[in-house]
Amino acid sequence: MKKLSVFLALALALTMLASCCLAEEKPDPFGKYDEPVTVHFVRSTDDTLDANFFSQHPDKTMTDNLWCDLYRDTLNVIVDYDWIVKGGDEYDQKLNIALGVGDIPEFVNVNTLQLKQLAEADLIMPLEDIYDAYASDFTKKIMLDTGTSPFDAATINGHLYGLPNVDSTLMIADLLWVRTDWLEKLGLPIPTTMEEVLATAEAFAKADFDGNGVDDTVGMAIAKDLWGQLFSLRGFFNGFQSYPGIWVEDENGKLVYGSTLPGTKDALKTLHEMYEKGLIDPEFGVKDGGKVAEATTAGKCGLFYGAQWNSIYPLQSCVNLDKDAQWRAVSIVPATDQPLKAQTDVGTLHWTVVRKDVEHPEAVVKMFNVFIDKNWGPNNENGIYYAPLDSESIWKLSPVVPTNPNKNNDAFMVLEQYRKDGDESKVTGEAYSILQKLKAFESGSEDGFALWGWERIYGADGAYGVLIDYQNKGMLQDNLFVGAPTETMTSRMSTLEDLQDEVFTKIILGESDIDAFDKFVDDFNALGGKDITEEVNEWYASVK
Amino acid sequence: MEKTTRALSRHGGGRLMKELPFHLMLLPAVILVFIYMYIPLGGLIIAFQKFVPAKGLFGNQKWVGWDNFIYLYHLPGAISALQNTIIIAFWKIILHLIIPITVSILLNEVRSTGFRRTAQTLIYLPHFLSWIIMGGILIDILSPSGGIVNRLLGVFGVEPIFFLGSNDHFRFTLIFTDVWKEFGFNTIVYLAAITNIDPNQYEAATIDGANRFQRMLYVTLPNMRMIIVLMMVLSLGNVLNAGFDQVFNLYSKQVYATGDILDTFIYRIGLIDAQFGVATAMGMFKSVVSTVFISVSYYCAYRFADYRIF
Repeated sequence: MKKLSVFLALALALTMLASCCLAEEKPDPFGKYDEPVTVHFVRSTDDTLDANFFSQHPDKTMTDNLWCDLYRDTLNVIVDYDWIVKGGDEYDQKLNIALGVGDIPEFVNVNTLQLKQLAEADLIMPLEDIYDAYASDFTKKIMLDTGTSPFDAATINGHLYGLPNVDSTLMIADLLWVRTDWLEKLGLPIPTTMEEVLATAEAFAKADFDGNGVDDTVGMAIAKDLWGQLFSLRGFFNGFQSYPGIWVEDENGKLVYGSTLPGTKDALKTLHEMYEKGLIDPEFGVKDGGKVAEATTAGKCGLFYGAQWNSIYPLQSCVNLDKDAQWRAVSIVPATDQPLKAQTDVGTLHWTVVRKDVEHPEAVVKMFNVFIDKNWGPNNENGIYYAPLDSESIWKLSPVVPTNPNKNNDAFMVLEQYRKDGDESKVTGEAYSILQKLKAFESGSEDGFALWGWERIYGADGAYGVLIDYQNKGMLQDNLFVGAPTETMTSRMSTLEDLQDEVFTKIILGESDIDAFDKFVDDFNALGGKDITEEVNEWYASVK
Repeated sequence: MEKTTRALSRHGGGRLMKELPFHLMLLPAVILVFIYMYIPLGGLIIAFQKFVPAKGLFGNQKWVGWDNFIYLYHLPGAISALQNTIIIAFWKIILHLIIPITVSILLNEVRSTGFRRTAQTLIYLPHFLSWIIMGGILIDILSPSGGIVNRLLGVFGVEPIFFLGSNDHFRFTLIFTDVWKEFGFNTIVYLAAITNIDPNQYEAATIDGANRFQRMLYVTLPNMRMIIVLMMVLSLGNVLNAGFDQVFNLYSKQVYATGDILDTFIYRIGLIDAQFGVATAMGMFKSVVSTVFISVSYYCAYRFADYRIF
């Protein structure tokens, strides 16, 4: 909080300075440039965009689509990309190389580690004055909806170096996706404890639903990137009071790394037992989310942990192939009698930074304004630019994606109210777009069936209801470290995370026995984890 | 003084003038080696720094002495990467000698030119596929669930083997697939050497009553000695290059213990984790070990086969 007030005071002082000395006209947050301004970004693309947008619009490209048109028409800003790669990991690798040789794009979305390296190298510019001058009031409000942490994480020595592409923290929480048509066939209840989850996984693995006589169904699907938002393990670990990858308080009020908590060992042990019983695909270590998604689509799996959007991708493809399939997202389950909490994290994954020599840095702030205003502003066109009836993920076409963090909660609440009183006049904006989708699905038409995924999120027993339940019941475990990465974190953390994933994978597959976990904790501390923990606690003491 | 100069111009100078065109022909290669091999050696300084790339090579980097090496020593996986590299590379070197030599000798004995040509083309074809493609193919055909190899083994009642995911089989799979992919191409070198053998020798051996097998053993093989030694010395320089492309496309976290090699390790530490200092330290270590290996092998080649490059 102290940091923010310093930053605000500084910003205020600078604005005053600017206004009295330069006596320029007030910056217009939506001002159109007289001459076209080309902004160079780099970006990644992914399966969801390919499957849901480009496959249906083969004539469109990353630089020729409705978002690029919008920026050009409203701001006279031309969006261009220096390079585009597929996949988040590949993006980080390519970016790290680019940063390594100092060849950075004009505008680039980075994570906090990269942001810190760039700021220390003096390659990017402080943005607090520009943000303050050009961000619209509505943008400023939305950007603070999850608190100041997205700004704190990008503030170094009192300067704001990156604009947070804010997003919901709640959405990070894992849910348990389960195939309810299989549950019905086997006469099983929806699992509410870890024992029931294991029993369900075992029943699914043994059953031969497709009747092909081959034992090819897995009990619970997981993928090689253990902590993704699809086929994740976080929700599973949370059941054991283990919070991998985030910082939580121990009994003394000190922050500890969640992966090193004792519950982690129990979770790993249980996973290994599942592997022994044949409930986990022995090949998971070589299969990425896309590969596992193929198997899930083909009806080879009926249980996994993941995020609320999983029904749109990949489960929609599953029901498209098998009209009898039905999925439902339910709460994660406890393995102990301790209070159950689902872990969240700062939802902001990327910060947009601006190279030092860029002529129109404010262009990106204006793009933030346009993005937020078009999607959630008072005169939004959400049904065209964010959630149109006929294509998904269309918002990803914009190079910057600051998302109204509470939009999904709000929309779900509005829809819940509508389901109670049937008053459609209060359903506006994104909620209205979603309602059209729900109605199209309910109509039972062919086109409407393509919106099954939306009904699974926003319908009466939809995924969002479970998330809101987490929130109302205080079942969320936030990441308590939200500052800029510390010194040792910058250099050592990713190697430690690698080590963690390697050890955990080996334990699950029985390549190492469970005691390898204790060695991992020792190694973690010896290889920088101890220093990081100290630095993190120093930060924690300073913000308390 | 005058005498010496004259002496030089008479003996050394005259020779130099005569050899000058050759030296000039060598020059571009020397310049390239200097630019791309020697100048980058200066970058080894990064191994002793807490390197922040953006500050530049000549920037004000923090000097950390041997810290990066100590960190590496404590990092689980660094030592096993070294072991894996040596074991995998060792077997690859041995098999890359034995198999192509055997195949080339056998092919040479085949009478039908058509068959020989066809066989040669077929066996060297895989060489032209890159590992990224081979990787995709291998992952599919070696899969324990429905891969063609395991289905075939299943016919004989063998339980499915997870070739790419089990620490018991991964190294074997690496070595086997690499040899399979490359042996055909390496065969060409030896076949060329065999073609150069004077046919009179065979004729003489036949007259002396040598049968086919004896001709192979006493004529073909001894004539190939020089090329075999040359190939061996050259390949020993690769003893710490166990094949990045191959391993990178086939490995996964669960087989790091037996399959992670120095190059993939350096790649992860350097390019993914952005620990440039540590990665350079590892690279430097690798170079030092390689130099030792090459020197020893060169000495051995000189000692036992009387082979010298210089």
